[in-house]
Amino acid sequence: MAAPFTRVFRPFWRIITTTTSSRGVRNVSYTSQQWSAQNVKTAGAASPWALHGAVCVQRLPVVSQDRSPIEEEFMELMSKMEFERSLLADHELKLLDDAARMSRKQEEDYDSDEEEDYRDKEIVTAQDLEDIWEQKLKEFQPALRSQGNDQKEASSSERCLADSLILLVKKDVGSQKLWLLPQIQWQMGETLRQTAERALASLPGADLKATFLGNAPCGFYKYKYPKDIQKEGSVGAKVFFFKAVLSSHKHLPLENNSFAWVKKDELQDFLKPEYLKQVRRFIMAL
Amino acid sequence: MAGIVCRTASRIISSQASCSSSVVAVRHSHWFTSMLSLKTSVPLRAEPKKKKKVDPRREIMMKERLKKKLKKLERVPPEMIPIEDFITSAKSFDDTRVREAPELSFEESERRALLLKEWSRYKRSQHQTEMLVIQEALEAQTQALEELKLESEELYKAAVSPDTDIFPFQHDGPCYTPPLTSYEAPEGKYNDITRVYTQ
Repeated sequence: MAAPFTRVFRPFWRIITTTTSSRGVRNVSYTSQQWSAQNVKTAGAASPWALHGAVCVQRLPVVSQDRSPIEEEFMELMSKMEFERSLLADHELKLLDDAARMSRKQEEDYDSDEEEDYRDKEIVTAQDLEDIWEQKLKEFQPALRSQGNDQKEASSSERCLADSLILLVKKDVGSQKLWLLPQIQWQMGETLRQTAERALASLPGADLKATFLGNAPCGFYKYKYPKDIQKEGSVGAKVFFFKAVLSSHKHLPLENNSFAWVKKDELQDFLKPEYLKQVRRFIMAL
Repeated sequence: MAGIVCRTASRIISSQASCSSSVVAVRHSHWFTSMLSLKTSVPLRAEPKKKKKVDPRREIMMKERLKKKLKKLERVPPEMIPIEDFITSAKSFDDTRVREAPELSFEESERRALLLKEWSRYKRSQHQTEMLVIQEALEAQTQALEELKLESEELYKAAVSPDTDIFPFQHDGPCYTPPLTSYEAPEGKYNDITRVYTQ
């Protein structure tokens, strides 16, 4: 579980949680009368909240993050200190031997018969080996760390390889088009996780395979329908989010207008403030 | 013994008989009471040999004692398999491998000390933010589960039940450069020189 906190933090968070729970005071006072009467009935029989299952698909980072300046400094210092405290390796000993042998060769009274092991063999010095290895390394061209398309297309899942990206979908909700996490309405006879899986599978044009992390939802969001849509018995909707990790990396590029792979910092450009507040809580971008 | 005596006696008798035929019942030695009764020589007339009943038992006892001693010697505990990581190889104690330690100036050592302290502060703040993020996510989950419980018991139970399909879970972590799509790794063979111990 989470590590023990300093005393300063606990009361701080208690204050925060009480304020967040009091945010939905209107809804709670309205529904509590309904709930006490309907608690005995079967699942979803007469609850005024429509259930939706949503999925938070994450493409985890493909490439390591760049180091901050202090991390760079510290890395340098650590490697220096390790080097200073180490012993000479076999390769370094060979280098020293070769250097000594070269200096002996340069002297005037050099007698090659005095050399013990190297009379008739071909000599590959350690320095030569180093040069060969460097050459081989230069021949290999690795892929670039940043593809350079960070700012351009939001719908490519190859952007921002160093961060974890979340899939957003543009959907019609009532009269507006909103950016949401992919969600779909719950049907009788299936668990919410199956609803979330259905939501992922029913995305048009996307063949995404993801591993769902557990049966439990990671967050929820509830909203009331605007007054003109509110019929008897349907006050609003509750959306339960499930986390999933994108397993296959190769898939076709998605439509630009309706899909977006987005970092946690960029979420505020896409999502509505209330929705964003709830979604931000469970997306961990460290 | 008795048989040998009989044979020698018969030879003597035959030799004697050849020279003097009238010898019939003459005692040539005290060993022969009579010619006709050659078979009863003195040793045979003694008490029958005592069969030592205790002997086989004694032999069995001796064998058992020897076996027990052998077992005790064989009860050596099996030799422990050495843990390669805990054995400092002899190479580390080689004096020719000692690297000359450079002398650090005062500024350099000060800079190092200050950098280490800065690093510990940086790591502490990083850890705190991580813990806060984790706590936040955990709270969001518990609230979601509470709301689900309010909705329906069945869905709540399904959500709280353990997921058996998720393990074994595998995911390739981040590398320094992304994988090349059309790269074929060169084929090679490697000699595995790990030591395998059997007990």
